[in-house]
Amino acid sequence: MSTITLEIEDKSIDDAIEKACRDFGVPREKLNIEIISESTGGFLGMLSKKAKIKASLMSLDMDFNLTDDPQPKNATRIKIEPLIIQEASRAVAPAPIVAPAPVATTVPISGSKIEASSTLAPQAKELLAGILTRMSFECQVSVSETPEKIILNIDGEESGLLIGRRGQNLDALQYILNKAINKSDNDRKMISVDSETYRERREESLLELAQRTREKVISTQKPISLAHMNAHDRRIIHLALQDDESLTTKSRGEGEYRKIIVLPARKSKSNTKAKSRQ
Amino acid sequence: MKELIKYIAQALVDAPDKVEVAEVLGEQTSVLELRVAKEDLGKVIGKQGRTAKAIRTILTAASAKLHKRAVLEIIE
Repeated sequence: MSTITLEIEDKSIDDAIEKACRDFGVPREKLNIEIISESTGGFLGMLSKKAKIKASLMSLDMDFNLTDDPQPKNATRIKIEPLIIQEASRAVAPAPIVAPAPVATTVPISGSKIEASSTLAPQAKELLAGILTRMSFECQVSVSETPEKIILNIDGEESGLLIGRRGQNLDALQYILNKAINKSDNDRKMISVDSETYRERREESLLELAQRTREKVISTQKPISLAHMNAHDRRIIHLALQDDESLTTKSRGEGEYRKIIVLPARKSKSNTKAKSRQ
Repeated sequence: MKELIKYIAQALVDAPDKVEVAEVLGEQTSVLELRVAKEDLGKVIGKQGRTAKAIRTILTAASAKLHKRAVLEIIE
């Protein structure tokens, strides 16, 4: 894999990135860009510093450098090799409309958008039903589809047991389904697993929690940190509170233990300062 | 239980015919040993072990229903 790295200087970072794209002859997405220094305005053109970036061709390898667990790294490395070659050849010949189909099961690419959406949903339903039978849960799976996602709904006697504490079983099923169904790169679609409108109820209780926290933070003017939750739940809280000028929300922590902190907004005097610093 | 793990693993990997699950029965806890093709190891473990964790969660839920306990081991 080519590891050519170019250092490029230009007036601004955007200009430098553009130049890098031209030099490599590939679109922005195919480049791995590291910003070394930003440009500074200087004074009347004097004392100005140019922006400096480091650019190299993107390889799929870099994703795996982030994981510190050596096992999956090695295992996936081996797998990834043919992919890289594909990626590279695609980068050289810009935008071939028909991507090389890796598996024989894919339908002709031309009409795949429409056809894919009609094949993924039943596939997902069958897989979920298969897992549930083997878990010895007796229940019915129904499927519905929106342009963005496939929604699988589980109906049964023991849905309480199936949902699990804080929906952990539903989340696990949903995660596995997303992994298994969206294996191919061509047609991906988000899958949502639900039972007894759990997702809706969860969202409601999160919104309530957001309101209660909002009132508490405003009245005490002290930051409050909420229990750790997953990305989806955090998003709901962030969105619920984003329009409120009197407080800000932040996420802190890593991975599973990432949690939201709700802070009272700075007083109007220091507000402008805080903004410019960001 | 064995079937459950096999079914999930086969859905995740590229080489389903290389998926093997062995069940070691214990008094209270049984151990399920999952073997997959070397190339697929990363698929069943996942980033930061996330897939493995999801499989274990499902396994726990399934065995809780039968008032049993089961652990999943992924064998290299």
